[in-house]
Amino acid sequence: MPSINVNGVEIEQDEDGFIVDPNLWNEDVAKALAAQEGISELTDEHWKVVNYLRNYYLQFQIAPMIRKLCKETGFSLKKIYELFPSGPAKGACKVAGLPKPTGCV
Amino acid sequence: MPEYKGLKMPAKASVEDMRRIHIEPVPDDQKVEKAIQYLDEMRKKFRSFVLAMESCVKCGLCAENCHTYLGTRDPNNIPTNRAELIRKIYRRYFTLEGRWFGKLVGAEDLNLDIIEQWYSYFYQCNECRRCAHVCPFGIDTCEVTMIGRQILHWLGIVPKLHADVGAAMERTGNHTGLTKPAIVDTLEFLSEEIKDEFGVDVEFPVDKEGADIMYVPSSADFLLNPYTLMGAGMFFTYIGANWTIPSTITEAGNFGLLFDQQHTMRHNFTRLLHAAQKLGVKKIVWGECGHGWRAWKMYLPGMADLPIRWPITHIHDEVAYYIRTNQLKLDPNKIGRPVTLHDPCNYVRACGMAETLRTVIRACVADFREMYPNKENNFCCGGGSAILFDDPEMYQLRIKFSQKKAEQVRATGVGRDGNGILCAPCSICKAQLYPMVEEHQLGVEVKGLIDLVGMALVWK
Repeated sequence: MPSINVNGVEIEQDEDGFIVDPNLWNEDVAKALAAQEGISELTDEHWKVVNYLRNYYLQFQIAPMIRKLCKETGFSLKKIYELFPSGPAKGACKVAGLPKPTGCV
Repeated sequence: MPEYKGLKMPAKASVEDMRRIHIEPVPDDQKVEKAIQYLDEMRKKFRSFVLAMESCVKCGLCAENCHTYLGTRDPNNIPTNRAELIRKIYRRYFTLEGRWFGKLVGAEDLNLDIIEQWYSYFYQCNECRRCAHVCPFGIDTCEVTMIGRQILHWLGIVPKLHADVGAAMERTGNHTGLTKPAIVDTLEFLSEEIKDEFGVDVEFPVDKEGADIMYVPSSADFLLNPYTLMGAGMFFTYIGANWTIPSTITEAGNFGLLFDQQHTMRHNFTRLLHAAQKLGVKKIVWGECGHGWRAWKMYLPGMADLPIRWPITHIHDEVAYYIRTNQLKLDPNKIGRPVTLHDPCNYVRACGMAETLRTVIRACVADFREMYPNKENNFCCGGGSAILFDDPEMYQLRIKFSQKKAEQVRATGVGRDGNGILCAPCSICKAQLYPMVEEHQLGVEVKGLIDLVGMALVWK
């Protein structure tokens, strides 16, 4: 199993780089995950997406509908792909510490 | 991605993942013996499987009819060769000539390498059954894939994607892991979206006891396919239905069909019947999901543990009925874009829905262009049986598997001006085609069929 070390804490990841225990997430973990995604710096726009996803997940235990993510952040899907090149599910959700989505997605 | 002697294979479920779906993986030193025992059980149970083992004459007709072979040119992706991976073992242990003459008659001892080869190639088969459709002997090679996957499941070898879906289904009643609050939140959001875009009031009742219709959507609609849910909501509202969505089974799919028909598929059936019983509904209407519709329509009656007291219909059949009886006003000019239709394999080759799809789409769009071959001769999208793996090497395979589909879409010309619609009324097809229309630069947007119904409805 791959893992990343953030501030001395070893955080386990699955094969696709999603963290296994979403409770271990914090802003430094987000930065480390973003670096793995090839995002060198998390801007305010990145944080807007990450925080929205994170809060939605804490409330509902799942990611929001992509259309809702776009509406609530005010970003188009294209813009989200610019911010997170792997896309909303495999990029943004990963940085926000959500588990990998399953099913026909 | 796991490496095994150059074989391409999706990430495997871990031991813990397998335990979550009730399987204790068989240790390597017992795998061969166990696999032979399971194979023996399957051949005694399924005549369709024995037919495939005994009757193939290797005429080769299936080769050029299989999109995975056309896309990869890997000889093991020729349907008869894929089946041969099991057939040579069957011959060795369960036929007289194989026991006596071994390799001389194409029989082979089972070993771990062959089991890994099963895993690689049975998860490169989309279970689309186009080979079965053309086979002069009527051999359904998909049945061989299904039995191969069932045996692998019992051995503890399942893709992580499929095992995680099985676990999510048991935990939440749907494949994506939606909780009831998330379901309600998303549906309230869509009510607002419908009001904004179409100016009509649509409510999505959840767990409404005493509803007439229980609508079972695909859980992927809640993440990726807003217009499919919106279209269904608008349709039920338009016809004045007393309907509801059950939170205990918000899932039209049934991955049990794809990796474990014996337990996972049956468990989902039971869950559905409990939901219908509890809500006291009169009818169950199915959402857009190809493999799921095949499971529920074709397998449920023979496998359910409980009596089935409810008619189960597909929403496309419902819409087609309302169109044929002139009860639905649709304006085909509202969607002013060229549209082509991808026939989901399970709808047309397993469930006879080709004409239904056309009744609906012709009523919804003015510029409808068929792709060829179509209907029951159609080619798979390349995602069939949830081969939606995104590890880099598997993703490259998905691009190859969808090559034939891309050629078909291109030939219709709908994407020439970059504003075409590729209608693909199945969640797996959608999940496969969303990225694939970009990879192949087809100039089309992927939509479901109920999406188009919602857009074309004319409200009083």
